[in-house]
Amino acid sequence: MSSSPPPEESTLGGSIRPAGARSSTRRGSPTSTHASALGSGFLGIGVAIIAALQSMLGIALFMSRAGDYPTLLPAVGAWLLLMVTFLGLTITISASGERLPDWLYFFFLAALAAVVWLDFVAIAPLDDVGRYATASISAGFVLLIIVTLRAQWEVLLATGALAIAFVIAILATTPLTPATLPAQIIVVALAVGPGLTGVLLVSGFERMLKRELDRVLVQSTVTAPRLAVGMLASEELARLDQDAEELLDAVATGRAALPLPADLSARASSLATELRLHLIEGRRETWLRHAVTESEHLGRRVAVSDPAALAGLLDSTQRDALLAALWLLASDPAASAPQRIIDVELGPLASPASEPAGSGDVTATIIPLVITVVGIKRNRVDPGVWEALDRVGRYSDSTANGRLCVDVDCAVENPVDATRPS
Amino acid sequence: MIERERKLLLQRAARAFGLCGVMLAGLCLSLPGVVDADVLPSVLILLIAQAAALVMVGRSSHLGWVVLTIVLGCGALALAQLPWGQGASLALPISLAPLGAAGLAGVGMVLSEGTGRWLVWAGGTLGSSLLVATAGPTGGLVSTPAIATLASWVIMLIIGTWVTVGVQRALRRIDGIGRAHLVERQASETEAQRRQGARLLHDTVLATLTLLAHSGVGVSADALRQQAEEDAALLRQLRLGSTPMPRFSGSYSLEPVAETPLGTTLESVKNRFGRMGLDVRWHGTGQVLLPSDVLDAFLLALTESLENVRRHAGVEQADVTITETQDSLRAVITDAGAGFTPGDVTDERLGVAESIVARLRDVGGSARVFSTPGAGTTVILEVPR
Repeated sequence: MSSSPPPEESTLGGSIRPAGARSSTRRGSPTSTHASALGSGFLGIGVAIIAALQSMLGIALFMSRAGDYPTLLPAVGAWLLLMVTFLGLTITISASGERLPDWLYFFFLAALAAVVWLDFVAIAPLDDVGRYATASISAGFVLLIIVTLRAQWEVLLATGALAIAFVIAILATTPLTPATLPAQIIVVALAVGPGLTGVLLVSGFERMLKRELDRVLVQSTVTAPRLAVGMLASEELARLDQDAEELLDAVATGRAALPLPADLSARASSLATELRLHLIEGRRETWLRHAVTESEHLGRRVAVSDPAALAGLLDSTQRDALLAALWLLASDPAASAPQRIIDVELGPLASPASEPAGSGDVTATIIPLVITVVGIKRNRVDPGVWEALDRVGRYSDSTANGRLCVDVDCAVENPVDATRPS
Repeated sequence: MIERERKLLLQRAARAFGLCGVMLAGLCLSLPGVVDADVLPSVLILLIAQAAALVMVGRSSHLGWVVLTIVLGCGALALAQLPWGQGASLALPISLAPLGAAGLAGVGMVLSEGTGRWLVWAGGTLGSSLLVATAGPTGGLVSTPAIATLASWVIMLIIGTWVTVGVQRALRRIDGIGRAHLVERQASETEAQRRQGARLLHDTVLATLTLLAHSGVGVSADALRQQAEEDAALLRQLRLGSTPMPRFSGSYSLEPVAETPLGTTLESVKNRFGRMGLDVRWHGTGQVLLPSDVLDAFLLALTESLENVRRHAGVEQADVTITETQDSLRAVITDAGAGFTPGDVTDERLGVAESIVARLRDVGGSARVFSTPGAGTTVILEVPR
C-alpha cells in the first residue's frame, strides 16, 4: 500500500494539456498572454479600415491621371493585385483567428513587392515617381494589417525595404530639381509613415494594457488577510511536501539503504531546512510584499521594509490608496528620466504610552509609514499621488539631497494584534 | 488610471506624427523657389512655434494647446502663400501637404471625445483643407494635397476613436482576468493555509527528516523505516486533500471537519517525546472533543511547552494535567527542572511568542508561564471549548 507509486501528478498534468495541442492552448502567466487576446486584434480592424480608405483615394487619384500613362496595363495590374492581396489577407486573418503563419507572411510580402514593382514599371516613363506613385504607396498602408500580428522588427524591416525601393526608383528615374524634390521627399515619408506610426501606436497600446493587467492582478492583494502566503509560496510548499514524501517513501521501501548515504542525508537536511523556513516564514509576508514581488512594474523600483508586518493592518481602502500612490510614483513619464528608486518603510510603532488614555472607546493606533523616492522632483510628482496618500493617512513631505521623503501616519482602528503581547 | 495612459499615448502619437509633418514641411518649404524669399523666415518662425505647441500637446491634455497648434499651423499655411494671387510655384501645394496632413491633422488623434473636441476637429479639418486647397495651381478647390489633408484628418479621428474603444474592450477583458486571479489567489491561500495548518504532521515529518539528515545513525533501522512509512503516508493524504492527524495506533484520522477526539492525539505526543527521552505522564481527562483548529493550536502549544522542558529543564520527566470546565480546557505542564527567571529569558528563545501565544490567541486561548530558578517551571495553557 505504502509502496504504490504516486501517479497522480503525471495524470493531472496530462489532462491539462492534451498531447496533440501545442502552442495554441499553452499559456504562461496572465501577463505573458498574447496581446491579441487583449484587444490589439480589434486594432487590426481599424488598421484595415484606414488602409481601405487610403486605397480608395489612391485609386481615385490613379484614375484621374490615367490619361498620362503611356501604358496602363502594369498600373492596373498593380492595383488588381493589391486589392486581391488585401481582401485575401483580411479574410484569411479573420477566418484563422488572428494569426499569420510564416509562409503566408512571406507570400504576403512577395505580393506587395510585386505590386510596388508593377507600379514602378508603370510610372517609370513619366519621370516623376513622387507625383505618380499610387499603388506602391497604398502597399505601405496595406502592409499595416500585419502590425498587430507580427513582431515589430518584422514590420519595420518591411517598411524600411519599401522606403529603400522608393529611393532607388526616384534616383533612377526622376530628375531632382527644387520643383520636383518636395514631392519625392513626401512620397518617401508616405512610404515610411504608416509603418512607423503603426508600430509606435500598437506597441504603446500593448504596453499600456500589459501594465494595466499587471495592476489588476496585483490589486487582488488588497483583500488578502493580514499575513498571506502568496501565490508562489503555496506551490513551493506543495513541492517540498512532495519531495519529502518521495524521500520518506524511499526510506520506507528500502530503496535507500540505512544508514543513509551522504547525498540522501544532505538532501534530507536541506529539505528539512527549507520546509521549516517555509512553515515559519510564509506567514510573515504581508500583502504589500506580495504586491511588490508579483508585479513587474513595482518590483523593479519599489523596496519594502516592514519587519513587524504592519502593512497587513491597513484596511482595504488604505491598501488600495497606498498601492495606487506607489504605482503612480513608479511610473516614469519619460524613458530618459533617471532611475527611480522607491523605499517604503513601515514602523516601528510608537509606544502605546504616548497615546492619550481614555480618549474614546475606539483605540486607534498610528502606524508610521515613510516613503522615500530617489530620482524625482517634488513638482513632477503626479497630483494623484497626493490624493491617494490622503486616503492612506495624514502625510507631510520634505525634499533633501534630491530625494523626496513622505511621512504618512496611518491610523488603524482597534488592531487587536498590532502590539506584541507583553 | 488607464484612462490617463490612453490619453498620454494618443497625445504622444499626435506629437510625434505632428512634429514629423512640421519638419517635413519646413524642409520642403526651405527649398529655393518654393516660397517667396521675403516670407520664408516668418513662415519658419510660425512652424517653430507650432512645433513648440505640439510638444505641449504631448505633455498636457489641455485643449488649448491643440487649438494653438491649429491656429499657428493655419497661419503658416496662409503666410506661405503670400503674396496672394501671384502664380505660386508648382511645388508649393505639395510642400504644404505634410503641414496640413500631418503637422496639423496629427492632433486629430486627441480630438475623438466630446462635443467641444469634435468642433475643434471640424474647424481644423475645414481650415487646413481649405488653406491647402487655395495653394493649388489650378485655382479650383480640388487638389491632391487638399484631399490628402482631409483624408488624414479623418484617419486621425479613426485612430483616436479606435484606440479609445479598443482600450474599453480590453478593460472588460482584463477585469475578467483580474476576477479570476482573485479567486485563484484565495484558493491558493486556502491551500497554503491547509498545508501550513497541518503543523503536527509537519512536526513529525521534520523530526524524521532531521534523523535522516544524520543518516539515521543511532536509531534502529526498522524503527526509522516504520516512521518514514507513516510519515510518507501522512504526506500522501495531505496531498490528496485531507488534513490527517497523526494518531498513536498507526492509523490516521481523516476527518477534516468539526471535532476530533483529543485523547488519542495526546497519546501520539506522549509517544514522540518518549522516543526522544522525555517521559510524559498524563493526568486527567482522556477524551475531549474540540473544534479542529482549537485542537491544532492546543496541541502545538503543548508540544512546544514539552519541547522546552526537554531542552532546557534538564529532567527526564514532565507532568501534564488536563482539566476541563464547562467552557474551557486547561493543560498544566509542570517539571521539576532547572527553572528560570521569567524576565531574563527572551520570548524568542522560548519560542513562546509566535508559536504558543499567538497561535492560542488566534483561537481565543491563553498561555501563562511561572518559574523560579531551581524550582521547576509550570506552564498553563487554556483554550475555549
